[in-house]
Amino acid sequence: MYGEAGILLLVRNREYYEQERLIEGIIFNIQGYCIHDGPGIRTTVFLKGCPLSCIWCQNPESHSFHPELLFSEEKCTGCGKCVQACPEKAIRLQEKTSQTDRRLCKSAGLCIDACPNEARAAMGRRATVDEVFKEIAADALFYKESGGGVTLSGGEPLAQPGFAAGILKKCRSAGFHTALDTCGYASWATAREVLSHVNLVLFDFKHMNPEIHEKYTGVPNELILQNAEKIHQEMSIPMQARVTLVPGFNDCAENIRATAGFIAEKLSNAVPVHLLSYHRLGEAKWERLDRKNETAAIEVPGERQLAECRRIFESFGLTVIMGG
Amino acid sequence: METPTGKIRRGGFPLCIEKARLITESYRQTEGEPAVIRYAKAFSHMLENMPALIGSDELFVGEGASKPWGAEIDPFLGVWREEEVKAAAAEGIISVEEMDWPMFKELGRYWETRCSEYVQSKLFDERLYKYLQLGVTLPPMRRKDEFRGAYAGSGLCLSFAFTDCYTDFERWLNGLNPIIAEAEEELRNLRFFNLEDVEKKVFLEAMVVALKAVIRLADRYAEAADRLAKREENSRRREELKRIAETCRRVPANRPNSFYQAVQSLWFNQILSAPTSTHNLGRFDQYMYPFYKKDLDEGRIGKEEVLTLLCELRIKCMRPENIKLSSAKRSQHAGFAKWRNMTIGGVTADGKDASNDLTYLVLEAADRLRTSHHTISLRVHDETPEDLLIKALEVVKTGIGMPAMALDKSFIEYLTSGGIPVEDARNYHLAGCVDPAIPGKASFLAGSFFVAPKVLEIFLNNGVDPRTGLEAFSPKHHVEDFKTFEEFYEAFTNILSHFISLWHEHSFLVASYSKEYYDVVEILETAMMQDGIRIGKPLSRRKPVPPFDFRAVMVPVGVINVADSLAAVKTLVFDEKKITMKALKQALAANWEGNQDIRKLCLQAPKYGNDIDYVDSIARELYRFLIEEETKYRTFGRPEHGKIRGIGGASISSMFAGGAIIGATPDGRFAGTTLADGTASPAQGRDTRGPTAMLRSAAKIDQALCASTLLNMKLHPSSLTTREDLKKLGSLIKTYASMGGKWIQFNVVGNEQLLDAQKFPEKYQDLIVRVAGYSAYFVDLGKGVQDDVVRRMEVSI
Repeated sequence: MYGEAGILLLVRNREYYEQERLIEGIIFNIQGYCIHDGPGIRTTVFLKGCPLSCIWCQNPESHSFHPELLFSEEKCTGCGKCVQACPEKAIRLQEKTSQTDRRLCKSAGLCIDACPNEARAAMGRRATVDEVFKEIAADALFYKESGGGVTLSGGEPLAQPGFAAGILKKCRSAGFHTALDTCGYASWATAREVLSHVNLVLFDFKHMNPEIHEKYTGVPNELILQNAEKIHQEMSIPMQARVTLVPGFNDCAENIRATAGFIAEKLSNAVPVHLLSYHRLGEAKWERLDRKNETAAIEVPGERQLAECRRIFESFGLTVIMGG
Repeated sequence: METPTGKIRRGGFPLCIEKARLITESYRQTEGEPAVIRYAKAFSHMLENMPALIGSDELFVGEGASKPWGAEIDPFLGVWREEEVKAAAAEGIISVEEMDWPMFKELGRYWETRCSEYVQSKLFDERLYKYLQLGVTLPPMRRKDEFRGAYAGSGLCLSFAFTDCYTDFERWLNGLNPIIAEAEEELRNLRFFNLEDVEKKVFLEAMVVALKAVIRLADRYAEAADRLAKREENSRRREELKRIAETCRRVPANRPNSFYQAVQSLWFNQILSAPTSTHNLGRFDQYMYPFYKKDLDEGRIGKEEVLTLLCELRIKCMRPENIKLSSAKRSQHAGFAKWRNMTIGGVTADGKDASNDLTYLVLEAADRLRTSHHTISLRVHDETPEDLLIKALEVVKTGIGMPAMALDKSFIEYLTSGGIPVEDARNYHLAGCVDPAIPGKASFLAGSFFVAPKVLEIFLNNGVDPRTGLEAFSPKHHVEDFKTFEEFYEAFTNILSHFISLWHEHSFLVASYSKEYYDVVEILETAMMQDGIRIGKPLSRRKPVPPFDFRAVMVPVGVINVADSLAAVKTLVFDEKKITMKALKQALAANWEGNQDIRKLCLQAPKYGNDIDYVDSIARELYRFLIEEETKYRTFGRPEHGKIRGIGGASISSMFAGGAIIGATPDGRFAGTTLADGTASPAQGRDTRGPTAMLRSAAKIDQALCASTLLNMKLHPSSLTTREDLKKLGSLIKTYASMGGKWIQFNVVGNEQLLDAQKFPEKYQDLIVRVAGYSAYFVDLGKGVQDDVVRRMEVSI
């Protein structure tokens, strides 16, 4: 009935579908009952790995595309069981606590099993589209009642485009609302493919000046801003602008005005601005990754400063929502 | 409005011996008369002679004790022991007038062998005494002749000193005069051809005496108000006193003319009815609404005035009535008030949303006056308005622990499946903490706690209770010898079944003896049942016992710890064979000391509360087993043909008392530490996959088969910042209801708990802190950031 070519096409489609289901990616968390990442009750999937390295990042475990060891020194009793367990001899005892040489560590995870005090944990796991979807779908009833769904965040979900698109596609066909929280740094072709499965974009604006942006995040911002415009103009996907106010980096009035101007003029003043405050909740994680914590010097913005920023955004005719 | 929290007394309650003295005086004069007449006469004598106290700023009146904020003695339950009173006085909880001591001691001597507790202490033979020492039924008995000290107020045990017949408040508000007339008519029509008729005569006569005594007390309040009004110089207060006098002449004898009068009538009910540590306020927003609506329509009342009255009701509910001063209670509770549950919301008889202005005003009053009593249960159904849920969650956010959410779907399903007509089922309200009640048509006699992990501990020790050294049973097989989990599980459930039968024997004995007591003291309550006069019998002697009866409900404690423990045994000892039963038992006996490796494995085994079928199915199966076993027994009072059954969910503080007598358990719990609270809450800190996963686990338990369940969710105030947050939480509640959940309440953590979380992170693994767009588990934050969260909270609330 289909002819040989038709059958081949069907088989291929099926193969392709199978493959998509089995696409593997790396995530570091799936969090239920997220209430600040879009409408309703949501499950947020955090994809691991990010092309940016913002110095104020509160999810430093999201930077690398590989599983990492998280070590809580306060739980370590210096028993030395991890030292024996490590095949790479990457761990040694120093002043009654274990120290891991991250250059030698191959993330085998044996030290994690060996530690009786749960001082060592793996951050990041590989999972297929299907596996992730199954966890998301478990909350289907909650999405239905609340008008919620799934949000992909990270890390940067656009950095694992096939995986991200696979999850979003499946969620959409299951009737869940889909959102993507992105820094916008990806080729347009990649972004477009992933975004075609998205109901809402949460777009992060970090700084409007390309040099400053590059200095503090590791990448310039031209591509990001171009993508923001294209998402709005070519795809007309509903967007929320997310601005995290980081004192000493993006909080000067000039930058806020530039950000507001960009949103109001290049996008639309119908794009709501979610003004978020820099916070320190993730601070301890830098040390647990044995990385230098440079965020300690950053202050948390005060109420007055947030109010002032809000006023500037509003003067551009934008609607400001404090928080998520 | 100014919130008059200053009026609430928190300690130094004066000991009131007057009530007990008057009762005793009467009892000494009525020896030889029928028990129920003696009680009615004593009740009447007491009301005739108690001072009618009116506070200088009270809008409505009625003092349960002889002194403002007095702590009453209820001699029928037993006079406190001298050492208890002295200890409580030393702690500043009560104050005793020196001149009262001789009378106090005399009362103690008179009632020692006449109170219900004394009778309860004579019931048990060696076999049951051995069982009771184990503590499977709380509290563990220490001496054979010991008073059980057993009611909710003791913080340890619900036993058969706890009863509630569910007053039909519409009937009460309609006035006592019509009920007296009904009783007198019934008496006139009585003919005496059998013993039952004679008993009915005595019972109805006693009822009439008691009802008239209540009216007489109200009259005395009217007289007192008149006297005060004459002397009062402040004209505004004079008018208030005149209003009190006029009102007390009208109610509770007659139907109130206004919302205000209805509140006064209701308060008389609250101080005079239900001789237990708990009473309820029924569906307040329903039975009070006609009075409110009429006043509102006629322009006689505004919302502020209603709120003032509701706040005053809250203050009055803080009074330390009928309390028990056991040391357990002293150490566990700061409050001594009667537990009064007020139900709001829900559906009408035809299934429509029942909420009205009063529903919101009750919540507003709790928001303004954040007292721990009365408590509030909001009935939530599919069509509960979003605004109402948000209003309720705003009150939850204040951290006062109310309202709790009673989920209509599961409750109504439970009631109708027990043969209750749907219109009656839709009219349920909550009594005690979480139990369903039907006004005027049901009564409740709570069973005691059944501490399931104690049974597991004894089972793992091959029949020997490690704490007492008693041999509770001799095992057919040693636990070390089981080859499969199935064998192990079957042997365990056989033992569980054995202990449930002991639990029932104890319950039956106590209930049978307490019957004598309740038949006598519940005459007023019986009159408030819908056909109380026509039948004219004590509740326990009616056949069937009031149409719907919830007697002897077993309240299992720590079932979730057992489920988690069994999952650990299954995976580690049988499935993966990572450890032997022997090694596990050694680790438990050592309270994990030197066995951190084994404990870590146990902790890593699947835990209930994370939507993992492996363990959730064990929890579900255990509950199914308990419900089926419990149903086998027709304990006292259970209607022969009735289908109402199931287990209760009010753990009160049994998770502490139960945990204290149990060693380390295979779920990773340390010896002596608390058990999981409520029937459906995960063990503290063991749910690490967020609220939705926790609710998915809980929904796997067949909650429609349970009389009540309880699930406690910890929330940090940061989850409740905006209206949008509250809306989402409301939607979470509704979804849980649609999945079969029966009860959810929220524990909004305060700084005290955050500090505790810093010290004992294990208990708080589930606590999430949110800032917009970011959330993290509190225990995962660094110390500095934790301190910051604590500091910030001081500012935000």
